[in-house]
Amino acid sequence: MLKTPAPIPETNDPLADGAASQRRLRFFRVGLPSPWTLLCLVISVVVALPVLVVLYSLTQDSQGDWAHLAETRLPGYLKNTAIIAVSVCAICAVVGTTTAWLVTTCDFPGRRLLAWALILPLAVPAYLAAYAYTDLLQFAGPVQAWLRDTYGWGRGDYWFPDLRTRAGAIVILSATLYPYVYLAARTAFVEQSANAMEAARTLGRGPWHAFLTVALPLARPSIAAGTALVLMETLADFGAVDYCAVDTLATGVYHTWRSLENPTAAAQLASMLLGIVVLAIAIETIARRRARHHQLSTRLQRVKRQRLGLFGSLAAFAVCALPILAGFALPAGVFLHMAITTGDDRAWEVAVDHGRNSLMLASIACIAAMILAVLVAYAHRLSRGPVTALAARLAGTGYALPGTVLGLGLLIPLTWMDFKIYELTEALSDKWGIDLFAYVYGKEPETYLILSGTVFAVLLGYQTRFLGVALAMIQSAFGRVKPSLDDAARTLGASRAWVVLRVHVPMLSVSIFAAGLLVFVDVVKELPATLMLRPFNFETLAVRTYQMASDERLETASFSALLIIAIGLIPVIVLTFLLSDRRRDKPDH
Amino acid sequence: MTAAADSVHNETAKLLAEVCGLGFAYVRGVEVVCDLDLKLYAGKVHCLLGDSGCGKSTLLRLIAGLERPTKGTIQIDGETVSCADRSVRHCKPERRAVGFVFQDYALFPHLSVLRNVMFGMRGKPKTERRAAAAELLDRVGLADYASKMPHTLSGGQQQRVALARALGRNPKLMLLDEPFTGLDTTLREEIRGVTLRVLRESGVATLMVTHDPAEALLVADYVSVMRQGRLILDGLPEDVCTLEPRDKGPAVVRLKPAVDKASK
Repeated sequence: MLKTPAPIPETNDPLADGAASQRRLRFFRVGLPSPWTLLCLVISVVVALPVLVVLYSLTQDSQGDWAHLAETRLPGYLKNTAIIAVSVCAICAVVGTTTAWLVTTCDFPGRRLLAWALILPLAVPAYLAAYAYTDLLQFAGPVQAWLRDTYGWGRGDYWFPDLRTRAGAIVILSATLYPYVYLAARTAFVEQSANAMEAARTLGRGPWHAFLTVALPLARPSIAAGTALVLMETLADFGAVDYCAVDTLATGVYHTWRSLENPTAAAQLASMLLGIVVLAIAIETIARRRARHHQLSTRLQRVKRQRLGLFGSLAAFAVCALPILAGFALPAGVFLHMAITTGDDRAWEVAVDHGRNSLMLASIACIAAMILAVLVAYAHRLSRGPVTALAARLAGTGYALPGTVLGLGLLIPLTWMDFKIYELTEALSDKWGIDLFAYVYGKEPETYLILSGTVFAVLLGYQTRFLGVALAMIQSAFGRVKPSLDDAARTLGASRAWVVLRVHVPMLSVSIFAAGLLVFVDVVKELPATLMLRPFNFETLAVRTYQMASDERLETASFSALLIIAIGLIPVIVLTFLLSDRRRDKPDH
Repeated sequence: MTAAADSVHNETAKLLAEVCGLGFAYVRGVEVVCDLDLKLYAGKVHCLLGDSGCGKSTLLRLIAGLERPTKGTIQIDGETVSCADRSVRHCKPERRAVGFVFQDYALFPHLSVLRNVMFGMRGKPKTERRAAAAELLDRVGLADYASKMPHTLSGGQQQRVALARALGRNPKLMLLDEPFTGLDTTLREEIRGVTLRVLRESGVATLMVTHDPAEALLVADYVSVMRQGRLILDGLPEDVCTLEPRDKGPAVVRLKPAVDKASK
């Protein structure tokens, strides 16, 4: 009754033919990737251009400047960078973990408020904190003046810590960067099963011992990941260490470029910094991978908070309040006080003027980053192949790039291209009498620069630096959408582009918006790359504050500084609100 | 396909889809689906039975066009839609008259039930689409739930929304990927009844994947058994457990109690 399938005639076998032609075409498949893959590749290569340029500089000759650097400044750069990086990471790890542990497992008055406020220092860029602290604690500042008045001391009668030192830089960076560890550690402690802790308690461990032997090891990968972020930010910091007059690799790149006027030597210095940063990323990636293994079941019992006594409550409150005071309240207060006492209407107008520039740059950069990140993430989701995986990784590397390295990595190729364009137009006018510049700009062009030193260059720099931020958030959001939803949409007649527009974007609107918001704020705070890439006389809030602080005229920039902090507060407030209600992003019902 | 199948279907039903010598490998050299032939007829339910990991779901994805075969061809309504030969244009999933009900239903969480059903209807005015979607919901007995969000529905209700959504495109072929696994036993029979009645009434050729022999033998017009990417058995539900598997592997013993259960 049952028969094997009818054999297909040997002659004119369509299957054999198909297999053969597929073998022929496999080569083409490698050569001609899908339009999505191609798009993803183009975006990531353009965005990663500075990284590639910096790496390329290693093969170039620096005409002896590198040797000179290595003999004179480099050991100092390395020593300072190492000491600052290690100290800041250690302080942040301790402060972040301790505060996170206190607010998740103990109950004391003010806990909820402190748990939220501990993120606030994220709104204060380290360079602003440096300006504020120096202003507050310098010889002519209010604190020392008060001490002298009260005790009748004169100059040299007393010792007072000097903030414009390496130690000062360490304190300032730690105060503003610890929230990275705090956030990671808090999430880890909250997601930990209370059962593990309770099991440890029933097995005869005291609360402190249980913390050390169970909770801390479980949270260690997350804490390491947060600390790696701190490390990256510390290495990238330019404004704070520059103001504290400490020479690190990041400031070294800037000064080599400015004073030695040797971009190759600066780029070689930058590649050294890049190497350290890559190490930090590696640590972070490995730590995150481990953190995934540590995640227990999704249905977890909430940690039961332990009520503290009066003394305990006071101590816990003080421990949690101090970092907020140091990282947020003091700097913000200094600028607020300055803004009120200066009372200059002009200052406000100038700040609004620069605010408009910042706003324009940040809006364009944030919209561009959202679109590009969605495209790259979707292309990666579609193919899952090694090409898009590499492209997505490449597009994200810029985040680890210190601003000075990024600025340099972008200036070198853009200037080169401008030069080539100029040569081309010269050749054109010599041969055929076509003056392209006069044609475009009118009779007397102000500048022959088309790419470098323009708003375009600044915006490209922002994509390099911050596309990774948006990409990481949007990729993880894409990961939460079940693949069967894509398939369902396709079988219901939606093309690939339509699937993104109708399914992914509306489903992930919250995450995409959050990613855009982070980019927006990061752009407003960004200093070194803007400083290097901006057009002549084009000032943003950050650049203006930097310049005024360098000129010791901080009062005039107090409004700009306040605006930066205020804009930085937006995501802290909005994100805590949005991310606490992630229902819409949840693919499962 | 077998002579038995031809003799059963040929007089009564129209051949809607034909799968010929189909092969597929995610990784080169490791074939998940291997030299597979299948025919689907209008208004008939064809059950594909097999253990998890035997390639059933991959076969459905191939027929829907979500994957491209590495060997063989797929024809729907006389037109070649998939072919290993790259010179033949691959018909994209959005252009095939194929409905797909996923195991996890894959309802869009950001759209209401009505909008989920309307998703697949395009090129018609909105009022028409709305009316058509409402009618489909009525057919699956969910007329009152049109404005609800998917996550507020129970599993059985979600399954019926997924069915209505897939029917919204007027498919010629319906693919069901273990559509009743998530439901509890009593609910399961009821939903199964509704689903298959609606499908038979619509004159759609149905290919249903399941790993439950009792279910397959109970509801199918024709049963195929799949093992390691190959069809090792096919026949009418009443015959299939008496046949010898083609791959000389162990006999399909587990079918026996299932048949007893089904015949009760």
